[in-house]
Amino acid sequence: MVSGIWTEKYRPTKFSDIVGQEDIIKRVESLTNSLNIPHLMFAGPAGTGKSTLALVVVKQLYGENWRDNYLELNASDERGINIVREKVKNFARTKSIGNVPFKVIFLDEADALTPEAQQALRRTMENYSSTCRFILSCNYSSKIIDPIQSRCAIFRFKLLEKKDIEKVVQRIAINENLTISPESAEILYEGSEGDCRKAINILQSTAAISPTITSELISTIISSAKPKDIKIVLDYALSGDFQKSREKLLDVMLKESISGQEVIKAIQKEIWNLPVEPEIKVKLTEKTGEAEFRMVEGSDPFIQLQALLASFVLAGLGK
Amino acid sequence: MTWTEKYRPNYYEDIKGQDEAVKKIKEFIINFKSGKKALMLHGPPGTGKTTLAHVTARESESEIFELNASDLRNKNKLQEILKPAIEQKSLLQQGKIILVDEVDGISAVDRGGLGELLSLIDSSEYPVIITANDIWNKKLNPLRKKAELVQLKEISYNLVKDMMIHILRKEKLFIDNEILTKIAINAKGDLRAAINDLQTISRTEHPSLIGLDERNKETDIFNALKLVFKGKPTKETLNVFNSVNMNMDELILWVEENIPSEYQGEELAKAYDALSKVDVFKGRIYKQQYWRFLVYENILLSYGISASKKDIKTGFTSYKKPTRILKIWLNNQRTAKKKSISQKYARYVHVGHKRAMNEFPIIRNILKNPDIRQELRLTEEEIAYLDKPLT
Repeated sequence: MVSGIWTEKYRPTKFSDIVGQEDIIKRVESLTNSLNIPHLMFAGPAGTGKSTLALVVVKQLYGENWRDNYLELNASDERGINIVREKVKNFARTKSIGNVPFKVIFLDEADALTPEAQQALRRTMENYSSTCRFILSCNYSSKIIDPIQSRCAIFRFKLLEKKDIEKVVQRIAINENLTISPESAEILYEGSEGDCRKAINILQSTAAISPTITSELISTIISSAKPKDIKIVLDYALSGDFQKSREKLLDVMLKESISGQEVIKAIQKEIWNLPVEPEIKVKLTEKTGEAEFRMVEGSDPFIQLQALLASFVLAGLGK
Repeated sequence: MTWTEKYRPNYYEDIKGQDEAVKKIKEFIINFKSGKKALMLHGPPGTGKTTLAHVTARESESEIFELNASDLRNKNKLQEILKPAIEQKSLLQQGKIILVDEVDGISAVDRGGLGELLSLIDSSEYPVIITANDIWNKKLNPLRKKAELVQLKEISYNLVKDMMIHILRKEKLFIDNEILTKIAINAKGDLRAAINDLQTISRTEHPSLIGLDERNKETDIFNALKLVFKGKPTKETLNVFNSVNMNMDELILWVEENIPSEYQGEELAKAYDALSKVDVFKGRIYKQQYWRFLVYENILLSYGISASKKDIKTGFTSYKKPTRILKIWLNNQRTAKKKSISQKYARYVHVGHKRAMNEFPIIRNILKNPDIRQELRLTEEEIAYLDKPLT
């Protein structure tokens, strides 16, 4: 059955259908055809084809039976490494079906695992290396411990270029009878930030309202997923009302399910629109960078954000 | 009779919201052989650990032998208690279960009692069930290896409320919905606390919300905060949090909540800078498992915050309870449907559900399509959530 969700409907099923990442595709394809693949690591930003390539690999390897020989896990969704191990254990217990001597386990967002959990994962990879190949995907390979990196062939995915995203968008537009002006396509690309999945989702979301994709419509959809009201949060802080500022911030984060990192991103962009002296803009940018740095090191993003808001209170006093 | 006693479940089917745990304990009893592991029930207070043990005894027609702290420490007494359990084996065909309740609250565990417990597990002819609040307590390390862990979950807000309504019906009483909501929120997954509160409130003539917030160690933390925020930073400041019976994470939340009620401007920024460093060290402990960093957490949280001000402060400040966790929890209740939809969607399109949650405003439009709703097997409630106008 063909899915109604376009990210699925138009997901490439053959190596030749994938847009962008030409070098990686070539190398992975030849590994796959030789039936001799090592553990793989796909590192790179969201929506650049990591999961898709993993799926293409298994479809190529197992044909119709791919579902029996493929386990997909998401490290940030599974509750702890023990669940991951348990699932891997159950899956790896039986032999692969067909003439490929191994099964494939795809572990998405592997960088969400703590270093400790990664050690445990390393052991698991070793224990089942005779029957299973792992494909790990992550945003940053630097967050993966060295012993795992050294056991994998690493492939670095780049952000998709404008022409790649446009190619995908055009193909879908023709198939789904959409009218999309060059101007709208431009805005769509900007809003996608090089993330193909996001581009397709924005397109389908807009098309659900009207098959004529105007730039206005598409902008509305894009901004609906952006953290709103960050400006209000900062305005409160600049006017010296810290309490209201943090209350509003928590509200926004909870209501829109956005992470600390995304808030930081929005704040950093918003600084340029604030009514403060250039010198203070520089200072605030630096503070924002420091907050982001500490967020990566620390454990509770909301505390780092409050510390940042306190700097904005100072900026409001001209300091 | 207290309502917590009166309405304590007697059979498996009376136990709500712990299906997984019930299933596991049934299997444990059926498969038990001498020399096997013990079963450790763990979870927050008031989720039914002890109840589940007693229900299991009843359902398997076993006699229950309950041990507590001091029993474990005293070898002779231990044997005395267990003697009937072991000797009567041939006389009665009845099975037996040995229950060691609240093992982590036992200081005796430190003093050799743990060894006794471990050898009891090895030698017992009968299933041993242990309950604990916090199994990650270091001193329980050896015990964890000898026990199968079964987790009891916090009771959901809705279930807490349903149970209260059920009890009120039986008691032929009526209490305002608003009050029930408040009690259920306050309970934070602790059903026993909720039922106790309910009984207390039902006795007052004009039930109101007064007095509900009192269950904790507030005086201690208030004094500690006062010393930190108002007093001069001295060596003693380093120890102020020692007298408060809270863990570091709770303390951080209390400080976080109350910094702005004491400090403004530059002091505010300095204090938050110190708190932010506390959090950085906390992160490093978590990621590297290097516990000595706790020292820095503590110093920054006490002395660091205290030294953020220019002069000592006078006057009375009414400190507030941390509200963030409650807000997050309430929000989770409200967005449960959003989460379940995101999970179904995420699995289907090969992404993590957190990303799906994050892009929900876009996905929402896509999910207007009835075919896609069917494809994802959304429930009626989930569809109703999607059709509800955005607020």
